Amino acid sequence: MRIQVTAEACSGCRLCRQVCVVEKFGEVNPRKARLRIEARFPVPGRYVPHVCDQCGDCAEACPTEAIVQRADGVYEVQPELCTACGVCIDVCPEGVMVKGPDDIPFKCDFCWRCTEVCNTGALVRVE
Amino acid sequence: MMTVYLKGGGLLREYLQPDVDEYTRRVEVAEGRTLRQILEAIGIRPVHVAMAFVGNRLVNLAYVPSDGETITLRPPVQGG
Amino acid sequence: MLKGFGGRQLRINLSTGEIRTSPLDPTFARKWLGGRGFVAKILYDEVPRNADPFGPENRLVVTPGVFSGNFGPSGSKCSFGAVSPLSNGEGDSTVGGHFGPELKFAGYDLIVFQGISPKPVYLFIDDDRVELRDASAYWGQGTMETEAALKRDLGEDFEIAAVGPAAENRVVFACIGHDYGRQAGRCGVGAVMGGKRLKAIAVRGTRSTPLHDLPTLKELTLRIIKRTAQHPNMAPWQKYGTAMFVGWSNEHGVYPTHNFQTTYFDRYAGIDGGPLVERILVTNKACFGCWMNCGKYSKVQIEGKDTVYVEGPEYETGSLCGGNCGFDQIEQVAYVNWLCDTVGIDTMTGGNIIAFAMECYEKGLITREQLEGHELRWGNLEDVEHFIRMVVERRGIGEYFARGYQAAAAYIGGGAERYTCQVKGQGMSGYDGRGAPAMLLAYMTADIGAHHNRAWTITMDEDLGKDVIRGKAKVVVHLQHIRPLFDTISSCRLFWGEIDVTDQEHIDAIKLMTGWDDFTLEEAMRLSERIWNLNRAHFLERNGGPGRKFDYPNARFYEEAVPSGPAKGARLTLADLDVMLDEYYAARGWGLDGNPSREVLEDLGLEDVATNLERAGLLGQLSAPLPPVRGEKYKPKAF
Repeated sequence: MRIQVTAEACSGCRLCRQVCVVEKFGEVNPRKARLRIEARFPVPGRYVPHVCDQCGDCAEACPTEAIVQRADGVYEVQPELCTACGVCIDVCPEGVMVKGPDDIPFKCDFCWRCTEVCNTGALVRVE
Repeated sequence: MMTVYLKGGGLLREYLQPDVDEYTRRVEVAEGRTLRQILEAIGIRPVHVAMAFVGNRLVNLAYVPSDGETITLRPPVQGG
Repeated sequence: MLKGFGGRQLRINLSTGEIRTSPLDPTFARKWLGGRGFVAKILYDEVPRNADPFGPENRLVVTPGVFSGNFGPSGSKCSFGAVSPLSNGEGDSTVGGHFGPELKFAGYDLIVFQGISPKPVYLFIDDDRVELRDASAYWGQGTMETEAALKRDLGEDFEIAAVGPAAENRVVFACIGHDYGRQAGRCGVGAVMGGKRLKAIAVRGTRSTPLHDLPTLKELTLRIIKRTAQHPNMAPWQKYGTAMFVGWSNEHGVYPTHNFQTTYFDRYAGIDGGPLVERILVTNKACFGCWMNCGKYSKVQIEGKDTVYVEGPEYETGSLCGGNCGFDQIEQVAYVNWLCDTVGIDTMTGGNIIAFAMECYEKGLITREQLEGHELRWGNLEDVEHFIRMVVERRGIGEYFARGYQAAAAYIGGGAERYTCQVKGQGMSGYDGRGAPAMLLAYMTADIGAHHNRAWTITMDEDLGKDVIRGKAKVVVHLQHIRPLFDTISSCRLFWGEIDVTDQEHIDAIKLMTGWDDFTLEEAMRLSERIWNLNRAHFLERNGGPGRKFDYPNARFYEEAVPSGPAKGARLTLADLDVMLDEYYAARGWGLDGNPSREVLEDLGLEDVATNLERAGLLGQLSAPLPPVRGEKYKPKAF
C-alpha cells in the first residue's frame, strides 16, 4: 500500500498538511506535518507533494535501530530507543520526517487522512 | 421517450426536487427536446440556470441531450 | 485566554522605527472580530480627519482574521486597510493565498503601521523576532520578482506580501501582491503601503493557534468537505474558476465593452474560461485550506514578448481588461493581467482607467503627442503596455492618471468625466448596471466606492425584472451585511455562495474556534451593519456631506442607453437613480440626504459616532420610522 502522488493535480491547498497535524497532534500547525508540498513558482508553476513511501532509509540510518518496520510495511519510530540524534531526518529522501517534542522524530504511518481530504486526486490511497 | 438526469445545487436544488440522490432529478423526455424545453416542462425558468455542463463541457440551453445523459446545472452566479 | 486568535498585535512607527508587541484585547476581538472590523474601528479612531492618505498619520492595517489558518471550512484571507487615496474614506481589501494563516501561526492578529519610513524597508517577522529591514535591494522590482527574491534570501517557507513600482510611485490604484498573482487590489491600499516606503512584509510562523474545541471543529470541517466535494458546482469551479462567467456575462448583456460603451462583446469566445483552460493553463492554484481550487495559473507566450506566468485571468480581469479594452485573445488578457500584477496596479480600477483613456483617445480628447507619439487603440497590446508604463512612471499625461479619475478627467477636459466609470473614485466591477439597476445601486452605495464584493445582484435584477427599479434596495442592504461578513471573519464567501456551506455553519465554526458559546449569526450581522455605518460616518467626516451627493455614478449610466447586445435599449434616468437612493436610505435608517440618523447609530451602539456627526452637522433626519431590522433577504419569484 502507498500514497499515490499525482503532482499535476496538486493545487497547493495544504489541506493534507493541516489534517495531518490535526489528526496526529490535535493541533493547528501545518509545520508539523509528515508530508510537504514543494511550490515551484513563479516558473514552472507546479506544486509537488512529497510523501513518505516507507522506503526504510530512516531505519537503515538509525544508529540505535529505533526505527522498525511493522507487518504492514510501515516504518515506525520507537521513542524509547531514540536518542534524538536527528540523522533519520537528514537522510529522509523526501524530507518528510518531522522533529517532535524533545526532538524525537515523527513520521507518516499511513493513517490516510491526507488522501481522504485531498479533493484534486493529487494524493490517493492505493492498497 | 428517453431518460435524462438533471443535477443542481443551491436554489436550483429546491426547484429540481431531486429524486435520485441529493442533487439529481430524473426526467423522462421526448427525444430531440432542448434543455430549455426540458426545464420549462418541469417548471424551471431559464433565469435560474446560469450554465449547464455535460461532464466538464460547457453547453447552453439550446443543447439537445442524449438518452441517459447527466446535465449539471449551475444556478445563477453569486458573483466573484 | 483568547482562542482562535494568534493573541498578539504589532504597532509599528515607520518614521521612528519603533516596534511594539502587545496582547490583543479579548474584548476588542469579540466586539470587532478581525478583518474588516478591525480596519474600520482602528481607522475611525486613529486617523485624524484631515490627514493626507499619503501622510504619516494614515494607518496601514493588516489583519488575518479569525478563520485564517484554523482548520475551519477554509480560512485563508488577510485584510489590508487604510484611508483610501481613491475615495478619501475608509478602504479595505482582502487577499487569499497563504499570508493570513502564516501571520496567525506567527501569533499575530493585527499589525498597524503609521508614519513614513525615511528609507525603503520591509517588515521581517519570524515568530517572536520582528524587525524592520533595509529593502533597497528590492526597491523598484515587481511584486512577483520581490516575492521570489525574498523567498530566496529568507527561506521558501516565508510568506510574502509586496508592492511594486506603482505603489512606490504612489499611483492611487496600486495594490499589494502575494502568492505570485493574488492581490489586495482595491482602494489603493498598495499605494498607501508604497507611500510609506514599506516594500514588503515577510512572515514565518511555527506556533500552534490555540483553539477551543478542535475535535468538534475537525468533524464539522471534514463533514463539510465530504458533502461539498460532490456538489454540482464543484466540478466547473475546479475546472474553470471565475473565468467561466465571461460567456455568461455577455449572454446576459452586462459585460463591460469598450469602457462600458456597450454591454456585449461579440468576440468574447476567445477570452472565456474554455480558452484559458485549453490554451494557457499550467496548474490549478488554491488558497490555504481551500478545496475548491478555483485559482488558475497560466503561462503566456506571445510572439515578440517574454514568456510570462500569471495567476488568472479571473473574471474581473477577463472583463475589465478583456472586452472593456477590446482584447479578444486570452493570451492578450493574460499578458495585461501579468503586467498589472507585476507593476502592482489593481486590474479592476486599472483596466477601467485604461479603457477610459482609450475612449478619450478614440474621441480625440487625448492626442498622440500626449501619448509620447504612441496611440491607445482598443485591443492593441503595445499601446496598452506603453500607456501603463507612462502611468506607473508618472510621465506626461500618466501623471494625471496616477492621481486617479478626477485628476485625469480634469486635465483632459472636454467633458471627460462622463466616461469615468467609477463611484467615489474607484472603478466599477465587471458588470454594467444599466441591465441590472440594483447592481448600479450597489456600486453607488458601496462604502469604499464602486465594488461588487459588497453586493452583487445581477440575477435578482433579472428575476424581479431588469427594468424594475423599486423594491430592490432592501436586498442590496442585506447583501451589504452578509457578503462583507466573510471579509470580517476571513473566510472566502464562495463557499457560502457557490457550494452551500451555510451562514450557520460559519458561525458554528467560530464558536468552536473561540469558545464564544453565545455567538450568533445575528450578532455577526449587526457587527457588519455597525461596520457599514462606521465607514459611512468616517467618509462623511472626511469629505463633508451630505452623503447623497457622493452616491452617483458618471453620466453614462443615467443618460445613455445600451446600444447593442442582449441589453440593447436598457436605460436608466437620474430620476430612477433617485428613486433607488430614496428607498435605500429609508431601508438603512438614514436621512434622505444619505446621512445616518441618530436612531440607527444608537441602535448599533454607535452613540459617540452620532455625537461626532451631529457636531459636524452631518447627522441625517429620519423621514420614516426606523426599520427594526435593516435589509431583507432576496426571495426569488415563485415559479
